[in-house]
Amino acid sequence: MSLIEAIRADGAKLLQEGEVKMVLGYRSRYDRRLPLLITQADQVSALVYDDDCWQNLPTYLRKGEVRSAMPVAIVCRPEGIRSLLVLASEAQIAADAVRVLAIVGNEYRGVLDLAAAAALIKDLPPAPVAPDVAAKLDELAAMPANDRAAFWRDALAPCTRCYACRASCPVCYCQNCVVERNTPQIVSTTAAPHGNFAWNIVRAFHQAGRCTLCGACQAACPQNLPLMLLNAWIERQVREEFAFVSGSGLNEPPFIGSWSPNDDDKFIR
Amino acid sequence: MTDTHTKPASSQGTQGPFEPTLVAFVCNWCTYAGADLAGTSRLKYAANIRIIKLPCTGRIDPLLVLKAFESGADGVLVSGCHPGDCHYTSGNFHARRRWAIFHRLLELTGIDSSRLHFSWVSAAEGQKFADLVNDVVAKVRQAGPFDAVNPARRRS
Repeated sequence: MSLIEAIRADGAKLLQEGEVKMVLGYRSRYDRRLPLLITQADQVSALVYDDDCWQNLPTYLRKGEVRSAMPVAIVCRPEGIRSLLVLASEAQIAADAVRVLAIVGNEYRGVLDLAAAAALIKDLPPAPVAPDVAAKLDELAAMPANDRAAFWRDALAPCTRCYACRASCPVCYCQNCVVERNTPQIVSTTAAPHGNFAWNIVRAFHQAGRCTLCGACQAACPQNLPLMLLNAWIERQVREEFAFVSGSGLNEPPFIGSWSPNDDDKFIR
Repeated sequence: MTDTHTKPASSQGTQGPFEPTLVAFVCNWCTYAGADLAGTSRLKYAANIRIIKLPCTGRIDPLLVLKAFESGADGVLVSGCHPGDCHYTSGNFHARRRWAIFHRLLELTGIDSSRLHFSWVSAAEGQKFADLVNDVVAKVRQAGPFDAVNPARRRS
């Protein structure tokens, strides 16, 4: 049985047996892959899966139509499972409200509850940073500071502040995002360089210890901003300095929001 | 709001040598009291620094640091109680973890350790505060005017 046939079969079975009220997967529309919300077992034939399915489906767990149909089964790659674990540890979803239709590489690993999914990714190395991103980061790190500043000024200038990065991110779930707070307004909402810089830096910073490098933000960006550079840089610092990998277990303490008396303070005088 | 993003003419290099503008975000209980002690002890330190007092380092949102650079600061100093001395028990521990990532993120974007400084200064360390400010101002002066290259700077 091929990967997608197995997913369809398991999805139909879960719906028929009433294990879940909804299956969240991908469908095909021309050359695009869109999310698909299924509530009837006879709809599973519309499910597809291939390399073009870049969206990270846990993003949809904050939608009302999904929240009202819990428990759901959700098609996830390892990054998606990590996103689910972040959401669960931040009390955004109940651990028993999701079943994972887990895909690792090109292999389907069956229906898992969140604890089993956590056990599955425990044995997997964290998602590797794309070689071009890692190379660019090393190149940037070797530049003089003023050249780095110039690079980011140019790189973030095309941002139109559409917030597609935020909308596509599974862990960007705040109802009142800091960029929309206006008493006082800290981040300028105009699509001008200073506001673009503040927004993109703050968006990346708020993902510290939470970003799973799924790449959805950069894939969603209509201006092709190099958002993964920021995400991967922070992920590298968090991993190397604090040995912390986002979403590596159920009920892990959050990275920002917890602390240790032994934290790095080489940079503090 | 007037002139929140303009700087005094003296710091824009239009007259005399470059005088950097620095913003210091300090906590109410330790560093502000330390600065106060420096003042009452009649210690002299560089006048380039504008001190903003907040209840605790835990309240010093990284956004405030960004805002300072956006408004034209050439450098920023963030300072609070030594670890273990926090008036609210753990505010500075929370802050330290945030800064650890935030200063590395800003470093990637060209705002490096010559412009962004962190320290612990207790209420008894008036001398340390004065020396620290002098040293930080010297480092920022050496780094030069930031306006032309500052990626966070408001220009419109």
